[in-house]
Amino acid sequence: MKSQVMLLKTDKLQNNINECITKLFDNVFNIGDVQNVAIKPNLCYYWKASTGYTTDPRIVSGIIDEIRERFGNDVDIKIVESDATGMRVKYAFTMLDYAKLSAEKEVDLFNLSKDESEKIEVKVGKTELSFNLSKTLLETDLLINVPKMKVMRETHMTGALKNLFGCISNTRKIKYHEILNETIVGVNKVLKPEINIMDGLYALSKYPVKIDALIGSDSPYSMDYVAATIMGYNPNTIKFMQLAKENGLGDPKNIEVKGESINSIKSIFPHVNNFLYKNSFKTLLKFLKLYTYLVGDIVPPILEGI
Amino acid sequence: MLKIGMFGLGVNGALHFSNMLHMDDVEVVAVADASKTALKRAKNAGIKHQYKDYNDLLKDRKDLDAIIISLPNFLHHDSIMKSLEAGLNVFVEKPMATKVWQCKEIVNLVEKTGLLLMVGHAMRYYDAIEKMKKITDAGRVGKLEFFTAESIMNGPLSHGVVPSPVPDWWFDPDRVGGGVLLDLGYHLIDLHRYFMGESKLIFQNFDHKYNLKVEDTATLILSSKNGKAANGFINVGWYQKAIFPEYDYRCIVHGDSGHTSTDDYLPKNMYYHAVKEGTKNFIRKISFQKIRPLSYTYFYESFYKELSAFFQSIKNDVETEVTAYDGLKTMEIIEEAYMRMVQ
Repeated sequence: MKSQVMLLKTDKLQNNINECITKLFDNVFNIGDVQNVAIKPNLCYYWKASTGYTTDPRIVSGIIDEIRERFGNDVDIKIVESDATGMRVKYAFTMLDYAKLSAEKEVDLFNLSKDESEKIEVKVGKTELSFNLSKTLLETDLLINVPKMKVMRETHMTGALKNLFGCISNTRKIKYHEILNETIVGVNKVLKPEINIMDGLYALSKYPVKIDALIGSDSPYSMDYVAATIMGYNPNTIKFMQLAKENGLGDPKNIEVKGESINSIKSIFPHVNNFLYKNSFKTLLKFLKLYTYLVGDIVPPILEGI
Repeated sequence: MLKIGMFGLGVNGALHFSNMLHMDDVEVVAVADASKTALKRAKNAGIKHQYKDYNDLLKDRKDLDAIIISLPNFLHHDSIMKSLEAGLNVFVEKPMATKVWQCKEIVNLVEKTGLLLMVGHAMRYYDAIEKMKKITDAGRVGKLEFFTAESIMNGPLSHGVVPSPVPDWWFDPDRVGGGVLLDLGYHLIDLHRYFMGESKLIFQNFDHKYNLKVEDTATLILSSKNGKAANGFINVGWYQKAIFPEYDYRCIVHGDSGHTSTDDYLPKNMYYHAVKEGTKNFIRKISFQKIRPLSYTYFYESFYKELSAFFQSIKNDVETEVTAYDGLKTMEIIEEAYMRMVQ
């Protein structure tokens, strides 16, 4: 059976998010009975969903309603996220309205970095990886992955596969950035979310763009394959997508797309030339170093150590 | 050669430190910071004396001319008082202290000791503000009637290219002393006084878009006519994701013969500005002239200029351009706004 990807658009005021989520559950996901559920949004920093950086809590709210509707009110639901190099979950939950959501829906907010963790060792190609994952997360019945649709300098894009990188318990994740592609794939060899719902309400190109889209898939690979295409990239040229395919996480030949057409959303997503996006900043910094060396001017500390 | 001690090597402290290493006639002799990493950086830069506690630095170093304070807000009052009592001139990042009573104690001690204290009102040193001040002082827009200013960005919630967590004290009302009004509004209130004269608070309104205990959005209406007519409108927020290297602030002064605005002088494109200023500095360098440090950054240059002004005041034994009294008057407006919101 082919992996399913469904593209939906909300109304312009984004008032029918819950209806769209129900549609995704009806058409894409096929889940048996569950007792406990972990929902993993992307809360990379203290920037609201409308900036294009973080997952909209309205989507997580809709997912909670849908889970309760289908599996009853006794299901234990946790919204999970881990501390990052520059972000602390306790503040992100408060500032991005997840604390409000937790109180309103009576669900737990769970910091994966504070939980007992298990050391995971996994090989991706020739790279041997080691990272920690929360035991609670590893033992959960159902992991729901709620990534954001956004471009990223280092990897072209952030999506479903990359969002699970954020499950690593270790706080200083920046140490993995030199082997980021391998680590993304490594985590995805361990965590297998059966429900993936991508937030494309406000997506991130070089700037935020309101595209009112929700994408559902039973596979993070398939979701990212479609999302990369929407963002104007050839998914086969993205390093972590190549690695994911090589490691059996998905196959482009095995994807069935439903709902809106890819082109209808692609046409409103401003494409970013990743080569320029990635290298322009590096080039500027090289010029800056040369300039300060020649002239004896000062580099502000905020730009040092890069 | 002025001998300098530093308290705090965080974001602004590191900037001041780096600037002082490039200044003539200034030597950083000792630094104090709770962070081992920060002290190691200072040691690597050639600073011989490092302390984890500023009290130890004050006890040990009797050879200093001044202290530069870039500590968390709640440590300003204590560290200033102790530095002045030790007979040292002080430069302190704004706010001078988090309470008006603390500011009054500082003003009194400055008067009693005759030492210099300058508060880091960096916005006064922005190129655009300096140009506007020159124009208004020369009477080119006539009698000043209205002042509008806004500064919307991420404030302490932004991060550098290499991210580091926002220190916890920024989220603690008791230690930070306030939210965006104290962080960004402080500068704009000072500019209202700077252009229009002594300010009074007419109206205040706060919002908490981030659900924090401190406000992330503030609007103030001020008067410099003893409260009789509103002539200052200030709007500040932490809610906007700042995009480096852009810097979002705006200030307009209307007179009865015209107006002047930061929009007239701010670089439209920061990259173009950097190239232009960098080229000018390169020409200065090969012509054996002094360069204009950090002019290519626009924003960071003001920190260099304010510190240079402080050192110039010490050398010439004249009053600083921004005084402890300026720090007190700005805090009076802020504290009143907070008290009214509680009531």
